[in-house]
Amino acid sequence: MNNKLGEFEEIVLLLVAAQHEEAYGLSITKAIEEELQRAVTMSSVHTALYRLEEKGFVESHIGDAEGNRRGRRKRIFVITALGKKALHEARDARNHIWNMIPKFVLEFGH
Amino acid sequence: MNQENHYKDPPRLADRFFDWYCYAPLRETISGDLYERYIDNIDRYGHKRANRRYWFDVIRFMNRHTLKRSRNSNIYNNNQIAMLSNYFKVGFRNLLKNRSFTLINVLGLSVSMAVCLVIILMINDQLSYDGFQTNRDRIYRFTHERLNSSVDLPLATVPLILADHVEDQFAGFEHLVRFKRNPGGEMLQDGKAILISGLYTEQSFFDMFSFELRYGNRETCLEQPKSIVLRNDVSEKLFGEINPVGKTLMIDDSVSYLVTGVLEPFPGKTHLQFESLTSMTGMTNTDWERSSEGWIYFTLQDGVSMEGLSPILADLSKEHYDDQSEYLIEFEIQKMTEITPGPLYGNQIGASMPNFFVIGLGVLAFLIIICAAFNYTNLSAARALTRTKEVGVRKVMGARKLQLTFQFIIESILVSLLSIIVAIGLLQILIPAFEGLQLSTLLDWDLTITPKAYFQFFLFGLITGLVTGLFPALYMSSFRPIEAMKNLLGTNKLSKVGLRKALIVSQFVITIVLIISSTLVYKQIKFMVEKDYGYTKENIINIQLQGQDYQILRTELQKLSFVQEVSGTSIIPNTGRSDDIEARRNIEDEPISFNFFAVDESYINNLNLELIAGDNFVFSQMLGEETTIIVNETGAKLLGFEQPIDAVGQFVTIDDEDKKVTIIGVIKDYNYQILYMDIQPMMLRYLPEDFEYAQVKLSGFDILNEITQIEEVWDAFDPNHELVFKTFQGEIDEFNAFFYDILYIMGLIAVLSISIAGMGLLGIAAYSIQTRLKEVSIRKVLGANVRTLVLLLSRGFIMLFGIAMVIGFTLAYLGNSAWLNGFAYRVSFGFDIFALTAITMILVGLLTIGFQAWKATFSNPAQTLRDD
Repeated sequence: MNNKLGEFEEIVLLLVAAQHEEAYGLSITKAIEEELQRAVTMSSVHTALYRLEEKGFVESHIGDAEGNRRGRRKRIFVITALGKKALHEARDARNHIWNMIPKFVLEFGH
Repeated sequence: MNQENHYKDPPRLADRFFDWYCYAPLRETISGDLYERYIDNIDRYGHKRANRRYWFDVIRFMNRHTLKRSRNSNIYNNNQIAMLSNYFKVGFRNLLKNRSFTLINVLGLSVSMAVCLVIILMINDQLSYDGFQTNRDRIYRFTHERLNSSVDLPLATVPLILADHVEDQFAGFEHLVRFKRNPGGEMLQDGKAILISGLYTEQSFFDMFSFELRYGNRETCLEQPKSIVLRNDVSEKLFGEINPVGKTLMIDDSVSYLVTGVLEPFPGKTHLQFESLTSMTGMTNTDWERSSEGWIYFTLQDGVSMEGLSPILADLSKEHYDDQSEYLIEFEIQKMTEITPGPLYGNQIGASMPNFFVIGLGVLAFLIIICAAFNYTNLSAARALTRTKEVGVRKVMGARKLQLTFQFIIESILVSLLSIIVAIGLLQILIPAFEGLQLSTLLDWDLTITPKAYFQFFLFGLITGLVTGLFPALYMSSFRPIEAMKNLLGTNKLSKVGLRKALIVSQFVITIVLIISSTLVYKQIKFMVEKDYGYTKENIINIQLQGQDYQILRTELQKLSFVQEVSGTSIIPNTGRSDDIEARRNIEDEPISFNFFAVDESYINNLNLELIAGDNFVFSQMLGEETTIIVNETGAKLLGFEQPIDAVGQFVTIDDEDKKVTIIGVIKDYNYQILYMDIQPMMLRYLPEDFEYAQVKLSGFDILNEITQIEEVWDAFDPNHELVFKTFQGEIDEFNAFFYDILYIMGLIAVLSISIAGMGLLGIAAYSIQTRLKEVSIRKVLGANVRTLVLLLSRGFIMLFGIAMVIGFTLAYLGNSAWLNGFAYRVSFGFDIFALTAITMILVGLLTIGFQAWKATFSNPAQTLRDD
């Protein structure tokens, strides 16, 4: 199994961490739509969550049934230690590349 | 949150669909999310769009995480599939265990399959004709049959005037295309003459057929008279790579054509064979009696039925032909897809392989594959005995009959697929052999193996495996477990299998028939080819005149010291061509059809013909004034002269123009036709303007040198043409090549069938003797000698042999008499053929059965009886 974090997976994982103990499929979908202004289908978020779970970056447990859910319970996702490590690695890699950009490139955009 | 929407339900069907597909552990949480989203969407977009989005979400949720899984996702836990893979494993091990058995089967099957594969390729090739024509299912052509003619062969041509009349009387045509053979002519190009021939046709050709133009205008290129469209390779030969549209072609130094187009290379094969298309504009057709004039193809408008056409054709035939006339013909309609492959027609637009040839080959292939399949069936049924325990155990463990049948069929499919692989290997040898045949060049066979062909091969192997394996599989799976385990199915039960004997007998019958037939074909062809034709052809070469003046060439050639004689003629005898003319003594007599040869005064001398009465022609410079003829004995007799000498000096009228000529001589009959025909009335006519060949008799001491000198004479004489010549014998051999082809194929098939039958016999003998090994040992211990033992073991087979021979000989006699009777000069059956066949078969039998029996007899009783 590939243990790298995809770009979309990274966003989902970040949001799982951000919505600690409150994150479930729909909440993350909404967050992506509202915070990032990106159109996304619920099923792709779910798929990403399942994939993250397979990779061991998140854990899930059945939560409450609060909200308009006809009594259906939520599946709450929580980030694991491995997931946190993956996020750090992703950020480090990103920072490393950011540092490689010469200063003037960013200062004088045109 | 809007309370009213609190109890809104999403589309019920979508819910049910979701519940149906979704993996249970995920169902609750996803469905909760979906519902929450749905309520949000109602608030945001309203009911309708929310419903739509709900559907969309449900469908989008289908993926590998959410779909239901079978209880165990591991595919090998599926019992059916596990058993299937087990069958393959057991089958494969079994093949390896009985190597000799497998070898016999695979060899026999693969050799015969290879022949079948070639035939599949041939049929594919035939079926590929005109596949690229988009209108192919809608194109028809008119054909005709002569009603008052002794020749019972439909012709593909019709008088072209028919086109005008049907178009007037029938409104439903979409396109109608006429073709007429354009004999073409020569075009001089860099001092070399290039022959251009093709078809006359009209503009609608491009509407009906899917030929594409590389250069030129598809809409107008054939509208103007004297415009010509060239095939791309012809254009390249004449003009190179450039666009030749607008150039003129001078043909025969007299007619000039304007090139208006060049065709793209054809995307596939077509029965329409031509090098060029010339415009038909301005040509008129008026004569109803010219039934070989050309071809008419047509398509009908959508929704128009063919039925209206037949009565019109019948009326036209009634209207334009006299009932008694020899020209009376009946028009028919033929679909284009039925032309190649199709029934035999005369006057085809291009050479094609007639149906019966394909069918004949198919039958032969079928016979061979049957022989090989019988081997498999026989051997498997015989071998069944050693596998009774396996069957018993499987049944006790719960295998159903169907499963066992399936298992054994899989084994035979394994064998046949293995054979197909070997057969494809053998094809690499067979294909070049087939493509080397004379027929192949004539019919332009293309035997490349396409992916589609590989697929067909695979399918063919599968079917063969299925069919051959069916009987042994049913037989073996029918054992009852207790009997099978206790080994109660002794040799007795097996030997009662009459079917096996029937199979052996029929296999041998097929082999015997094939051996006898091929020997007969061989004898007949040898007889025909080597027969004394009654004239001398040694050391004569035939030079094509190619339009040059015979007399001048003759004078030139006679200056060469080694040239012994030069004669001129129109046709080379024994090469299948003939010219006919009618002759009668009095106007009121029934005319007699004569073959004729245009010759000069040296012909009789050159070919060593024997003049039995009268005189030879006298040299005369006068052309066209034909006054004298020489007839052969048969001709003289048919004209009513008792003795040849009576004919000399008599007048006959030849042709319809009441031309009176004198018979000045009678020659002894000689064979000038293909040898399946009897000698017919024939006449020699003094017609120098009809000469096409100069026949030069050489001294024959140094042929190569002599031909070089002749070439020099020719080159000085006609620098534009190459010298074209063949030896007389070579010309005849070339014509006979067709017979050699048949011989080759027959021989191949006979050898195949002998070896297959031999292998089958070997297997079956080896097996059945092995089952009797103990019996042999006991007999031996009790004092039986080798001779009685061998006899004992072979007795069963000798019986079968006898039956097979009786049936085989009868069938072979009946079948071969039928075709041999069609020949005027035929070989007789003779005792030798039957003796030869019998000896071959007995030899094969002795080698196989005898050897096995002998081996069994000499085995050590101590070893075979040790375990009992």
